[in-house]
Amino acid sequence: MTLNSYKFFFILLFLSTSAFCQIDNLKWQKADLSYEKPDNFIPRNYSFESDDPVEFVTKSFTNAYWFFVSDVDGDNCPFRPSCSVFFLDAAKETNIFQASLMFFDRFTRDTNFAKGHYHYPHVRSGYFYDPPQNYTLNQGKINYIPPAFIVDDK
Amino acid sequence: MKYCLIFFFLIPLSTLPQSSFDFHSPENIKKFADHLFCQGDYLRAVEEYESIKNSNLNDTIDFKIMLCYSEIGLYQMSNLSEVRLSKSIFKKEAECLSLKNRFKASPNSFYKISEIKVYPFSKEDRLTLNYFQKLTSVSFLLGSNELISKDEIINPFDGYEKKTMLSFYEMKVNPACKSPALAGVFSAVIPGSGKMYVGEWGDGITALLATSLLAFLAYDNFRADHKTRAWIFTGLGAFFYAGNVYGSIAAAQIFNARINFEFSEGINLFLEQKNYFMPEYDFCN
Amino acid sequence: MTSVTKIFIVIIFILSGAIRIFSQDSFQQQFDLAKKLFDEENYFDAVTEFKRLLFFDDTGKYSYEANKLIGLSYKQGAKFSDAIHYFSLAENNASTEDEVFESKIEIIKVNILRRTISRALTLLDDLRIDKRFNNRMDDINYWSGWAYIFADEWEKASTSFNDHNPELSALCDSVNGDFYNVTLAKTLSIIPGVGQFYTGEYVSGLISIGWNVLWGYLTINAFAEDRVFDGIMVGTLLWWRFYSGNLQNAEKFAQQKNLEKTNSALRYLQNNYIGSKP
Repeated sequence: MTLNSYKFFFILLFLSTSAFCQIDNLKWQKADLSYEKPDNFIPRNYSFESDDPVEFVTKSFTNAYWFFVSDVDGDNCPFRPSCSVFFLDAAKETNIFQASLMFFDRFTRDTNFAKGHYHYPHVRSGYFYDPPQNYTLNQGKINYIPPAFIVDDK
Repeated sequence: MKYCLIFFFLIPLSTLPQSSFDFHSPENIKKFADHLFCQGDYLRAVEEYESIKNSNLNDTIDFKIMLCYSEIGLYQMSNLSEVRLSKSIFKKEAECLSLKNRFKASPNSFYKISEIKVYPFSKEDRLTLNYFQKLTSVSFLLGSNELISKDEIINPFDGYEKKTMLSFYEMKVNPACKSPALAGVFSAVIPGSGKMYVGEWGDGITALLATSLLAFLAYDNFRADHKTRAWIFTGLGAFFYAGNVYGSIAAAQIFNARINFEFSEGINLFLEQKNYFMPEYDFCN
Repeated sequence: MTSVTKIFIVIIFILSGAIRIFSQDSFQQQFDLAKKLFDEENYFDAVTEFKRLLFFDDTGKYSYEANKLIGLSYKQGAKFSDAIHYFSLAENNASTEDEVFESKIEIIKVNILRRTISRALTLLDDLRIDKRFNNRMDDINYWSGWAYIFADEWEKASTSFNDHNPELSALCDSVNGDFYNVTLAKTLSIIPGVGQFYTGEYVSGLISIGWNVLWGYLTINAFAEDRVFDGIMVGTLLWWRFYSGNLQNAEKFAQQKNLEKTNSALRYLQNNYIGSKP
């Protein structure tokens, strides 16, 4: 056999093998079924993940707020992430000043007396999904999700 | 007696053909694969067809393999199957399907093929060229930010399709977007009005009430000489005011993102309804 | 006939009989192949081979078994709608009352797994009134118990298991007895913090008491000093927020702890219980 014939043979073999590999990847497998009821409770993360002193201070105040106020005054925020987590995530995405502006805007939307939350998508536990990435004033970061969608809580 | 014995032997021998049915013969695999194809079970069908394609040289099987891969989203595998159809009766259909696969794999950048002018088909074939131009028009609408002429977009189409593409073109050129800068200016002048401009009346009224209340409380406490409280309310009021201006700009951006999303969804729905301008192949009747 | 011919005829007779005995029916071979894939947990390919068998089986000899095993394969892949579809086909192709009953029970088990409990209970009620299955009441009550477990109704589950399955009955009683009374927790919270103490959340209860005492004092003090506006603001925005939060928390803690107990019992049943399970 000539070199070209060998090449053609191996290409054909590769195509056939890769076809079956790709098909195998699409075949569904045995599922990991669990009897447990879904638990939508997400515990607080009190840990300090960063060595940045500004973040340390921010997280300390947030932890104190969660422990003494938020965990005691009931479930008042219709959104996920909640306002305090929104502020932390916003500070990570941008800076403390911009995050403060985002937080006050979020607080206003939270206090919407007309309960005009129909344009937000939901998470599985029923809250409205409102991530800080949509409010960084960077059009490219906005991930628009229509109201009919249900987003995974985690 | 002799004939009785012969008859008695023939009974067990006659059962042999039934018990030796070959499920995995190429003919039977093809029959089963055709059944799966007609049921819409494309993943199983393509696996069956792949196992017999070398022993059963058949243009229809090769084309069905290409169709199956396309249906289950393996566009590259589908296009690789086109090689076997280059000299078959399904050559033109395979070229069109290959274009559809390329489009579905990256709809926003399909139009760049026409820019680099390296066409994956023979330009002499008017049908395939027209099909390519249709998909390129749609891709321009989805992915390009450049201004394109109306004629370029709608010329490949006719009838109802032309009307629909014209309306999409109008939406692309004149989207119903809101200006974030204008929303910010509105909210700077009257708190909450920027949000009302974007259509969020509840948020706008809340922002107006909150900022007004805090401003009043600050003024009232300054007047009553309660300086500490007054400054607290002033600070809160300032933050709510700044947050309202910021939020109005963000709300306008989200509004525009919604307009873009609905535009893309509208086009995708149109493509699904039209089966990406491909004919429906009926191999089952 | 010569003796050689006679011997030849006898040999042919023996051979044809032997071929008939030893050549396994290829349909049975196909069934065995598919079953082997199923036993090896290769469910997708098992479904393919069972479907191949059904496609060529004109006699319908394997219709019940093959459809049932396809249903079981889909169930293992958590494709519950497909599983129910194939169990229904198995039921339609069943040739005995036992096979009909087994198919119906499989459909009920899938409904339990996907938590469409009302549907499962409706199907169980249909079985109960079906005179053909009067002698299968134990099985019907057993699966009713499982349906109630998944519906979080442990008391009814215990009643269903009753004398026929004392282990499960005792487990259900134990879980039910361990639950916090959510209504009681909310009622006790009329006095701030007491509901939290009832559910074992002492720190939260103490903090709640602290806030309610503080805002209550400030509100009353404001009214006492004729600062009505201040009193209304503190009372509505702060005192009421923390008081209603205290009520919500008591309910939330009771529900969370009950959920933990439920899931602990369900984990035990799934991993440690040796008996028929959905």
